[in-house]
Amino acid sequence: MRGKFLKVAVAATATAMLATACGGGSDDSDDAGGQSGGELRVYASEPAFLLPSNGNDEPSIYVIRQLYRGLVKYNAETGEAENDLAESITSDDKKLWTIKLKDGYTFDNGEPVDAESFIRSWNYAAYGPNAQNNGYFMKRIAGIKDVTAEDPDGDGPKTAPEPKAKTLSGLKKVDDLTFTVELSSPFTGFPTTIGYSGFFPMAQACVDDADTCNETPIGNGPYKIEGAWERGVQINLTRSDSWNGEPGKPDKINYRIFADVGSGYSAFQAGELDVMYTLPPERFKDAKASYGDRLFEQPGDSFNYVGMPLYNENFKDKRVRQAFSLAIDRQSIVDAVFDGRYSPATGFIAPTFQGAREGVCTYCKKDVEKAKALLAEAGGWKGGKLVLWANAGAGHDAWLQAVGDQIKAALGIDYELKVNLQFPEYLETADNRKFTGPFRLGWGPDYPFLETYLTPVYGTGSDSNNSTFSNPEFDSLMKQGDSAETIDEAITFYQKGEDILAEELPVIPMFWRKEAALYSENVDNFVWNQVSGADYGATSLK
Amino acid sequence: MGRYVIRRLLQFIPTVLGTMFLLHYMTSLAIQFSGNPVRALFGDRTPSPALLAAVTERLGYADPCLDQKGNPCFGLFVDRVQNIFFHFDFGINMRQQEVTEMVADRLPFTLKLLVIAIIFEAVVGIAAGVWAGLRGGSFADNLVKISTVFVISVPIFVLGVLVREFVGVKFGNILRDQEWIPDVVASGFFSPGFKPDYPTASLLIPGMVLGAVALATTARLTRTSIMENIRADFVRTARAKGLANKRVIGVHTLRNSLIPVITYLGVDIGSAMAGAVVTETIFNVPGIGRMVTEAARTGEAAVVIGVVTMLVLVILIVNLLVDLLYAVLDPRIRYE
Repeated sequence: MRGKFLKVAVAATATAMLATACGGGSDDSDDAGGQSGGELRVYASEPAFLLPSNGNDEPSIYVIRQLYRGLVKYNAETGEAENDLAESITSDDKKLWTIKLKDGYTFDNGEPVDAESFIRSWNYAAYGPNAQNNGYFMKRIAGIKDVTAEDPDGDGPKTAPEPKAKTLSGLKKVDDLTFTVELSSPFTGFPTTIGYSGFFPMAQACVDDADTCNETPIGNGPYKIEGAWERGVQINLTRSDSWNGEPGKPDKINYRIFADVGSGYSAFQAGELDVMYTLPPERFKDAKASYGDRLFEQPGDSFNYVGMPLYNENFKDKRVRQAFSLAIDRQSIVDAVFDGRYSPATGFIAPTFQGAREGVCTYCKKDVEKAKALLAEAGGWKGGKLVLWANAGAGHDAWLQAVGDQIKAALGIDYELKVNLQFPEYLETADNRKFTGPFRLGWGPDYPFLETYLTPVYGTGSDSNNSTFSNPEFDSLMKQGDSAETIDEAITFYQKGEDILAEELPVIPMFWRKEAALYSENVDNFVWNQVSGADYGATSLK
Repeated sequence: MGRYVIRRLLQFIPTVLGTMFLLHYMTSLAIQFSGNPVRALFGDRTPSPALLAAVTERLGYADPCLDQKGNPCFGLFVDRVQNIFFHFDFGINMRQQEVTEMVADRLPFTLKLLVIAIIFEAVVGIAAGVWAGLRGGSFADNLVKISTVFVISVPIFVLGVLVREFVGVKFGNILRDQEWIPDVVASGFFSPGFKPDYPTASLLIPGMVLGAVALATTARLTRTSIMENIRADFVRTARAKGLANKRVIGVHTLRNSLIPVITYLGVDIGSAMAGAVVTETIFNVPGIGRMVTEAARTGEAAVVIGVVTMLVLVILIVNLLVDLLYAVLDPRIRYE
């Protein structure tokens, strides 16, 4: 039976061979895979930018991290920051930081990786008219206000004036391998932040012609680009000879670009890929059944919450917020809606982070009796129909509806979903504080330090504080944490801050996403970095 | 003939401008009603107003008319048309890449795919149609009739996904386990999608999927047309003259029967382009179709307007060529 089947197959393929003989493939076989490092073929979606100052999306960062290296790197298992290109990062007052660099590193074009290369890169990112996405990350450095200029009439007819300064006043070169960074206010966690790819150095040639450098990057990392970025098709990296640090494991990394995760999964099934760091949700069960031990699962750090519009009268009483939180059974939503691929949140800081504690939020488990009692104490619900907000087309309706149903069942409050806004408009509604009821939003860490989950989201007047939470005690704890002598000491302050959040509930913690990655039989040792995800340079092949 | 062509070419102008305005208006409305797409680039992280304004300005979404719901943004439209026709500047996408450059990168893939699809549907479709048409009511005829109904009734995205799963992955994996099958077949032709290592071989199956639906129609059209013509007077005369059967069928019958088929194939290039949007996404072909899908998903006005304008031009030109081809096939048709 099998033999006959194959004969048919041969007949069918013979015609195909004739047809393809003239067009032919460029490479006849990739037998080389497996020997001496080999080529690691990974799933990728199209990066937005390959310039460290501009790439703020996952696909970009996955490539940038192999092309460039920064002052610190993150330990794969603990996520702690360790010096990479930096010899030392020191500060007496946590405000003025002195950074000494290791000698002997160069860019692919021969330029030295010196103090200048970091200052240049950070200035380039911060300077308003360059419109770099990672300008956002430079906001702690002194002088940021002077290099960006506010448009006098919003986005009206007048254009923004030229900023007052071209460079950040907080960045100063001491000698070739030393520079100082002055922050606007003290921050103990500063060394952990600069491992983010937006802080990687840039060669002068790269700043001079950013567009070219975006297509054919001039990196300083263990890999360099081979050829150029083939848009929509692939990016090939090969070991860089100029790299002095620990070399990458594979000889080559091939990023295959897919528009649709489903077609990427098919390519993986057909043996065309070695690593896939994301999975189509509907294929997750199938993947688990087929690849069991080669499916890597890890609790993630992206936080999903239901925000409370504290600017609305009905949500000002914390007992109302507590009652809502107590009405929700997170685990049942995770099981029903996400196939168990999320984990319920019991705090505000990702469980993988140093300083995170289990069960900080005592109001985050279902307790209908207590919820009813608290709501009654607060004088009952006066807001009429509860409006639950989410952006359209991202699949949030299902779980938000479950939240609404549970609140309705527990507290008898009728609800409606408002899920018709596209993401940009939804975000603008958030920025303008126009939500009329609880809203879903998320938060991903900017750096592996627990502060990233606190000040930006709940600090008084913080940009991303969408619930408009304001608590002087919380703010002062954050300040004390920021200027603490050591990280451990800082953590105690931040934890006290988290305790306040657990009591006040400016947002209702919902769940943490779980990360999943698949790797093929060719992979010998798959490395997942706590902070930055799949580490292709450290992954070895059989 | 010359005059006719010029008249047709002049008709292009209002058609293209009208299409562009519609696209411009629709994309402007989309931005007016769904907000500044640049804001979504930052997601959860709220950028400072200065940074947001700078990026918005750079990407060309700063025109204040984009804040006024329903405003047709005539000023922006005039700018756009001027840029496109006088400077050949189609604008940039959210990743600050020029649309013309993006199209130039991706056009070869789409053209290859279309050529494969058209050749496949023309050759196989016409062959099947002739085969069935000459033997009306026979087994061959019924086979073609049934199988074409089957193909037409399956939407292309279903067909595409099924082929990818069962031909590319499942069947392909069986072949890849066999040592003696050359790589170009096992990993190239039977790849579940486009593969840069085999840029032509891996496009054959996607091309066939794209051509499949039109193939069925082509076969049906050819069949009917042949059946009509085979009984026509001029065919009878040709036979009576004692011409060889090959010549009677090949020259006298087929040439006349192909007129509706050619028309259909010409018009089909337009729908094949539309089909490419689906096929390219399913088979990960880095062509224009996939690009449009991605652009539409993220609401990139410049890309959508630029590419669709180009597609409209292509379709207009192809339709003109088809009309001119009539005269070649049928000497009775003259254009004045």
